[in-house]
Amino acid sequence: MGKKRKRSETQTAEPTKKDEGAPERPKRTLLGWKDKEEVKNQSESNPDSSHFFRNKEKVMVTCSRRINYRYRHLMLNMVSLLPHCKKDNKVESRSSKGATLNELIELRGCSSALFFECRKHQDLYLWMAKCPSGPSVKFLVNAVHTMEELKLTGNHLKGSRPLLTFSGNFEKDAHWKLLKEMITQIFGTPKEHRKSKPYHDHVFVFSIVDDHIWFRNYQISVPHNESDKMIRGGLDKMTLVEVGPRFCLNPIKIFAGSFGGPTLYENPFYVSPNQIRAMEKRQKAGKYAKKVKAKTRRKMHELSNPLEPDEFADMWRE
Amino acid sequence: MGLRGKESTLVAENAVEDDDDVMDDLSGQESESGSESEEEDVKLAEPSKNPIYNRDGLIEKLQDISWPENVEWMHKLSLDIDQEKEVDVNDDLARELAFYTQALEGTRLAFEKFQSMGLPFLRPPDYYAEMVKTDVHMQKVKGRLLAQKRQIEEAEERRKAREAKRIAKEVQAEKLKERAKQKKQEIEEVKKWRKQRQQSGFPAGGKDSELDLGFEDGKAFERSSKKRPGVSPGDRSGGKAKQGGGKGKNMKKRESRNSKFGFGGRKGLKKQNTAETTNDIRGFNKGGVAGNKKRKK
Repeated sequence: MGKKRKRSETQTAEPTKKDEGAPERPKRTLLGWKDKEEVKNQSESNPDSSHFFRNKEKVMVTCSRRINYRYRHLMLNMVSLLPHCKKDNKVESRSSKGATLNELIELRGCSSALFFECRKHQDLYLWMAKCPSGPSVKFLVNAVHTMEELKLTGNHLKGSRPLLTFSGNFEKDAHWKLLKEMITQIFGTPKEHRKSKPYHDHVFVFSIVDDHIWFRNYQISVPHNESDKMIRGGLDKMTLVEVGPRFCLNPIKIFAGSFGGPTLYENPFYVSPNQIRAMEKRQKAGKYAKKVKAKTRRKMHELSNPLEPDEFADMWRE
Repeated sequence: MGLRGKESTLVAENAVEDDDDVMDDLSGQESESGSESEEEDVKLAEPSKNPIYNRDGLIEKLQDISWPENVEWMHKLSLDIDQEKEVDVNDDLARELAFYTQALEGTRLAFEKFQSMGLPFLRPPDYYAEMVKTDVHMQKVKGRLLAQKRQIEEAEERRKAREAKRIAKEVQAEKLKERAKQKKQEIEEVKKWRKQRQQSGFPAGGKDSELDLGFEDGKAFERSSKKRPGVSPGDRSGGKAKQGGGKGKNMKKRESRNSKFGFGGRKGLKKQNTAETTNDIRGFNKGGVAGNKKRKK
């Protein structure tokens, strides 16, 4: 019978289970605590022992004012997906956006930021930035489906560490590599984070199709028949159910500094949504002008080529 | 905004060209599954625009921010999956399938890695913790799925019922036609018999083998085989007198008494012209009348 296991139990059980991998605290040996020097001198690379590497990533998530309901829900979804994030209040800024945001990030003590900027209640731009000096990227977000949609039926633990999968073409070019690194750092939950949960039951998909980054989030579900702790033979029967949210990112520019600085990369295929709308309107406006022109042309044509007098014109004159 | 201003000046040179991205941007606002905009499909290749691409700068920044080389995979949990073929963006099914396969591949690889490291991978069934979607929400999802299933089933049933009704109607029509034909036939035969009888002058030659009467094959007065089970002509109980239990000491006696006196007894049938009673002349004059024949009685 499976008895309910409390979360605290597993948390404490976890570190003891890991034989390999870093011990969180200095190892307790019979002679006392292991010394720092000893740990450093270990040739067997334990690079993520607490003295070498610890993922201390903290993401600050904010949005601009006048944000749409759909994009606000997307932002809230992101907050629930990333346990290592801090949600902040709306940022009101027309000018000097970069400075304000940088200050905020410093204040909260975060190392990166996701800023959802909504323009004209219609377009959503996502800024991904590493602070204090790191690069930042501005994306245009399309095709947003939030987690609340009833067609996305999956569910997973809140705060469990995701598996990040990247498509092969992230290695094709320098800017994709940079983006991949940024995404790994921002979207990957740090190991042993306070709010993280132990198991891995969902997977993020980042793939580049048509120069856009598509994001999907799937729940890993295995039919529980043997109900073992680790599903052994179930690898074949593993299915993925989509949890959401879904969105598509179109990179616009990459800057060297955080929310500003020299441009490192500019997307040549990017057309801003304002332009698209303007072009549409111009097309529609052109219809009437074309009609008028066609009329005058017809008139000129008729004047220049008069018809011959009709023989039968007065045939039926009564 | 200084940055956006720069973009717009650069792009304003090319007036009317659109591209796939445009289509995605536009239609993507609502839903990605319907790219219903009719913009032209021209890709905006702008080598003349000279977009900024500072490769060295990018790589430098990459070095700046990336984690040290020897970080264990457990920290990153990132997997690279190679796609074999190009996916058309506008084909929704193919695109989603590509994403799904990528995720599945990644999960398999990760599972193998975890197994080799001996770490737990999936959530055991008895582990309860806060989920990213609330229970209320999942109830709604379940309700919707069930409603969909029910709709499908109902549609199926309705279709089947319609088919069955059609067939039943046909069968019924056939039966009615049969009955009408039968009735007409019988009437015709009676007429024919009467005519024949007239022609041959009512002799006692009813046994003529020439007369081949369709209705005198003994079946005329036969009741339809579809009678109520167990109802005889004299039955007052309407066929419901059949006994439930078939065991007992004196069942036969009981049954016979029931049929005679049960439910108020036998119906009519007290006086009937049957074969027996016609030939039964017991009630008539016995021993001849020795009186005056002319005397009125």
